[in-house]
Amino acid sequence: MTGRRSGTDDRKGLRLCLWCLMAVVVEVALFTSYQGHDAKFHWFTHFFVGTSAALLAMAGVALRTRRAVPLPLVWLLSGHLFAMLPDVLFNAGVAHERWMEVFLGHISSHFVPGRNVTWFLIFLVCLAAYLAVVFHVGEGQDSATRTRRR
Amino acid sequence: MWLVVAVTTGVLLALSRAATGPLDDPDPARQRPGYLDDGALPVPAPEVTGGIPAPGRRAVVFFVRAGQLGPLCQALSGFRPGPVVDMAVVLQEGGGRCPQGITVVDDREAELAERYGLPTPRDGGPPVGYAVVDAAGHIRYRTLDPEVASLLGEVSTMLRAVS
Repeated sequence: MTGRRSGTDDRKGLRLCLWCLMAVVVEVALFTSYQGHDAKFHWFTHFFVGTSAALLAMAGVALRTRRAVPLPLVWLLSGHLFAMLPDVLFNAGVAHERWMEVFLGHISSHFVPGRNVTWFLIFLVCLAAYLAVVFHVGEGQDSATRTRRR
Repeated sequence: MWLVVAVTTGVLLALSRAATGPLDDPDPARQRPGYLDDGALPVPAPEVTGGIPAPGRRAVVFFVRAGQLGPLCQALSGFRPGPVVDMAVVLQEGGGRCPQGITVVDDREAELAERYGLPTPRDGGPPVGYAVVDAAGHIRYRTLDPEVASLLGEVSTMLRAVS
């Protein structure tokens, strides 16, 4: 019984590692797609904005479904990709235009007071919010399981 | 896992902030923003030299210091921004010419850069960057760009945007 559980845990851990590795590889590729040392500033802005939005969406979904979202790193990557899509177009030769604000404020997000430090703090708050929801949902599930057992 | 994500991004952010150079804009959000008509733009473009900018022709005006002139001239020799585009290089310190016949204007007092509204870089010296002028003679884009010689594709993108 213990051996079977340990095997399942190992497989889960391995799967998590693979997702982490994939996320790191994709993010490194996105980082290097920004040419020039000064452009890294833009990567950080869109990373924090996109992942913060994704974390809020994940928290909403977790609250609704009463369980943590599956594949959380895919949510974060998707949020980041959505926020930086105009930069992908820019690399293809399309200059930014005002309508590109639909991508999570792609232009104006750079100009918040405090710049990327502010977005980093917002990212931490969103991360804490998501983890609080997951914890809260997990507590609810545990208590429901205990009630059923009684 | 989440702690690792938070700590790693925080450390990387701190490292990236420490990696800014003396020729960078004090406000990184203003450097290479990639869109036209930021802030007070468009505004009429001052004359760089006789015929640049010229009515009906787009222009790109590069602002460099002595150290960037050689690499920029070399890069410009293979740069084909398309028809009806004029180019000029404003040299703000030292002397020199582009062997490829590109117009180089001496501007040791950095007056042209000031009239073009380029920001002062972090080191307080003359700016290194460029301005894009449309066919109506208006500045539509201006930015500091210390690595402009290796990022001419981006200049092409901004020139296409004003066509």
